[in-house]
Amino acid sequence: MLTAIFSLGGIGLVAAVALGLAAKRFAVEVDPRELAILEALPGANCGACGYPGCAGYAKALVAGEIDANQCPPGGAAAAAKVANILGVEVAIREPEVAVVLCQGDNETASNRYRYLGLTDCVAAQKLAGGPKVCPGGCLGLGTCARICPFDAIEMTPKGLAVISREKCTGCRKCISVCPRQVIRMAPLKTSVHVLCNSHDKGALVRKYCQVGCISCHICEKTVPEAYVIEQLLARVDYDNAGNAGAAVDKCPTHCIRDFVAGYPPGSSYPPAVVPVKSDAA
Amino acid sequence: MRQMTFAGGVHPPDQKQATAHKPIEDCPLPAEYVVPMAQHIGAPANPCVAVGDRVLKGQVIGEARGFVSVPVHAPTSGEVTAVEARPHPAGSSLPAVVIRADDEDRWQERPAVEDLAALEAEDIIDLIRRAGVVGLGGATFPAHVKLSPPPEKPIDTVILNGVECEPYLTADHRLMLEEADRLLEGVAVLQKIFASCRVVIGIEENKPDAIELLNQRCSGRDVEVVPLPVKYPQGAEKQLIKAITGREVPSGGLPMDIGVVVQNVGTTAAIADAVLRGTPLIERVCTVTGAAVREPKNLRIRIGMPVAHLVEACGGIDEDPGKIILGGPMMGIAQVDLAIPATRGTSGVLLLREQDLPLRQEGPCIRCARCVQGCPANLLPTTIAAYGRLDRMEEAEDYRALDCIECGCCSFSCPAAIPLVQTIRYAKAAIMARKRSG
Amino acid sequence: MTQLLLIMISAIFVNNFVLARFLGICPFMGVSKKVETALGMGMAVTFVMTVATVVTWFIQYFLLNPFGIEYLQTIAFILVIASLVQLVEMVIQKVSPVLYQSLGIFLPLITTNCAVLGLAVLNIQKDYTFLEGIVFAIGAALGFTLAMVLFAGLRERLDLCPVPASFRGTAIALVTAGLLSLAFMGFAGLVKG
Repeated sequence: MLTAIFSLGGIGLVAAVALGLAAKRFAVEVDPRELAILEALPGANCGACGYPGCAGYAKALVAGEIDANQCPPGGAAAAAKVANILGVEVAIREPEVAVVLCQGDNETASNRYRYLGLTDCVAAQKLAGGPKVCPGGCLGLGTCARICPFDAIEMTPKGLAVISREKCTGCRKCISVCPRQVIRMAPLKTSVHVLCNSHDKGALVRKYCQVGCISCHICEKTVPEAYVIEQLLARVDYDNAGNAGAAVDKCPTHCIRDFVAGYPPGSSYPPAVVPVKSDAA
Repeated sequence: MRQMTFAGGVHPPDQKQATAHKPIEDCPLPAEYVVPMAQHIGAPANPCVAVGDRVLKGQVIGEARGFVSVPVHAPTSGEVTAVEARPHPAGSSLPAVVIRADDEDRWQERPAVEDLAALEAEDIIDLIRRAGVVGLGGATFPAHVKLSPPPEKPIDTVILNGVECEPYLTADHRLMLEEADRLLEGVAVLQKIFASCRVVIGIEENKPDAIELLNQRCSGRDVEVVPLPVKYPQGAEKQLIKAITGREVPSGGLPMDIGVVVQNVGTTAAIADAVLRGTPLIERVCTVTGAAVREPKNLRIRIGMPVAHLVEACGGIDEDPGKIILGGPMMGIAQVDLAIPATRGTSGVLLLREQDLPLRQEGPCIRCARCVQGCPANLLPTTIAAYGRLDRMEEAEDYRALDCIECGCCSFSCPAAIPLVQTIRYAKAAIMARKRSG
Repeated sequence: MTQLLLIMISAIFVNNFVLARFLGICPFMGVSKKVETALGMGMAVTFVMTVATVVTWFIQYFLLNPFGIEYLQTIAFILVIASLVQLVEMVIQKVSPVLYQSLGIFLPLITTNCAVLGLAVLNIQKDYTFLEGIVFAIGAALGFTLAMVLFAGLRERLDLCPVPASFRGTAIALVTAGLLSLAFMGFAGLVKG
């Protein structure tokens, strides 16, 4: 009995001493704050902060290179935790989501040619500017949906990209790959958008899309502070969009949509809920 | 005895029977020409005329930019009505000079050269550059650059490319039959530039009349005519060099690295015109064909002629084309409509009917390796494309994506209709973009 | 000499620790996504296995057997292996932080890895001499590395294939591991025992 205790104890002691010496010899400096910050971050490694993955962001934070509110997926909650760990103040950024400014799917928008090739919007765009007649419309081949790290984008059966306001964290990866620049950021608090990206004249737009903006100015006349017409395309002024919903029914081509009433046709997402002001993303 | 061919390759149906026997016809002149500034590899030319200017045929309307660039010349005499972006065969709208023709079609001064022997190689190359001569095989690489290898790369072989391996195209074939004189004048010019080198004309065996004719005309001169087995892409530069000389162009290298210069037969004839007759390159032979064209022909066209006009000159459309291709069916570029101009590189206009197109849905790769067997550059198209699709461009580069000559043999042989060439092109573009941004 | 060679060949091919004895499947599946990480893991395991064999051999024949406390074999061996792995972890973290990151959780998992404990116990069971034990350990580690590198190569290829959704990830990896195992059965009978 005693032999057993002494033998095991002896082995343990030898091991402990050896490890203790090795720990001194092979010590590596790791800032414990980095690990704590890494815990607080969402861990999606999306790169929206501009650093290689969450670990890169954590390192930069500890080095003091960057503000603590640069992680859109983490939102205000993570920013607050990080600020706590670092002992700094941080300004809360307004949550933003990405919106696809187009409703022209295979049924409502026409094509110049039949595209048979790599199912990728960037590849299709290289072939004479893409199969869609509309120069700004969504090509519907799913490049954005594939790259979204949060699974927030779906392709409708008729070939239109739709982004879920609930799942989008504002990391902007979809914007970086879209060859048509049809995805834009908008504040989460606004749910009304003009879903068109074509600057062509109304008569021309009518020819190639049933739901495009024809810059008739009716929305601007209805709610002057909420709508701006720039280069033959209407858009919501997100800073004054409180009453924008009043123009939704007035638009003759139905290209203005309030996501609270529902997502574009074909989408499986339930109607959006506009968040109450105090909630964070 | 070594086989005069290369590894890989495919055998698409010839489809040259519609035009192989038809002599070259001059295309009637249209009322308006749209002359793009980008008709060659390298920097596009800069327009040097303004709206309202009167120009003469052969006058420079676009100046070359840099060494790898050539000037662009007016295809007829007339008035410049616009200098603006116009639809271009490459797919987007690019700067072009629009000329409304007067009825005179008057040349500007063309200085002729009486004594070739009196010229230095540098002067000859300068004449070639100023005439805007580019590779007429379809690549449109500036000829003067190809003909100016640095002194540490001596040239011992000049190969003339009379292979014309693309299906449907017969322009070079007819040129060899009907304009052998111009061709041989061009050969003499090349022999002056590259003294004491071996000159070989490579022709595929499906053109026996051309082989026989050139054999007769070349006997006594220092020019060999080499018939080659019919296989696509025998006319691709690296494959042609391998077949005729047995040498391989190193990965990432050029033919001049192994002492060879290759020129298309059409380019060679244009070189003769440029040097001996001071004539800039504004004309070429083009095959307009395909089941949707009423009367397929070999036309002598000028740059800037609308493609719709070329089709009209061939009796117009027989039925609505399912596909419009500028060039050959393997490497040509599909077009959205006929509202584009012909350029120096327009070797063919194909109007194919929808029922003749192999439109299939893409399926999964079954590892049959037909693409690997067919690849003339000894690559693994399926693997490069797979990495390209996954956006793993470094691995795609490791598998030598940049050595791909985009010949189309892989897409042609794939039983699953996978868009291999498109994916590899996509990968190549991504790799080059990454290299440029460092 | 022949005996040592036979032990080596048997450990690497015929009775491969992963593919024939089915020990160490956890790091086998976890670290074999890329060939470089597989190699790194293989080298770490080689070191641990060899040193563990030496130390456990001494402990068995100079401590446990003489004092009649053979029943402490399992716990004593685990103690030794755990310390060794801790040591290897520290060294790797210092010498190659990149490798440390890519091995991640699987480095400390060598501790609970049945392959290492299995090796130590088998050494004793087969009554190997000190030299034979070391050769056996090196062979086992080489076999482990070989299996992992081969499998990593296979998995890199699998990445390029359109695997059906229900098979993606671990499922198709295990199927492939089974096939690799079948392939290694071709070595059966090459060396007796």
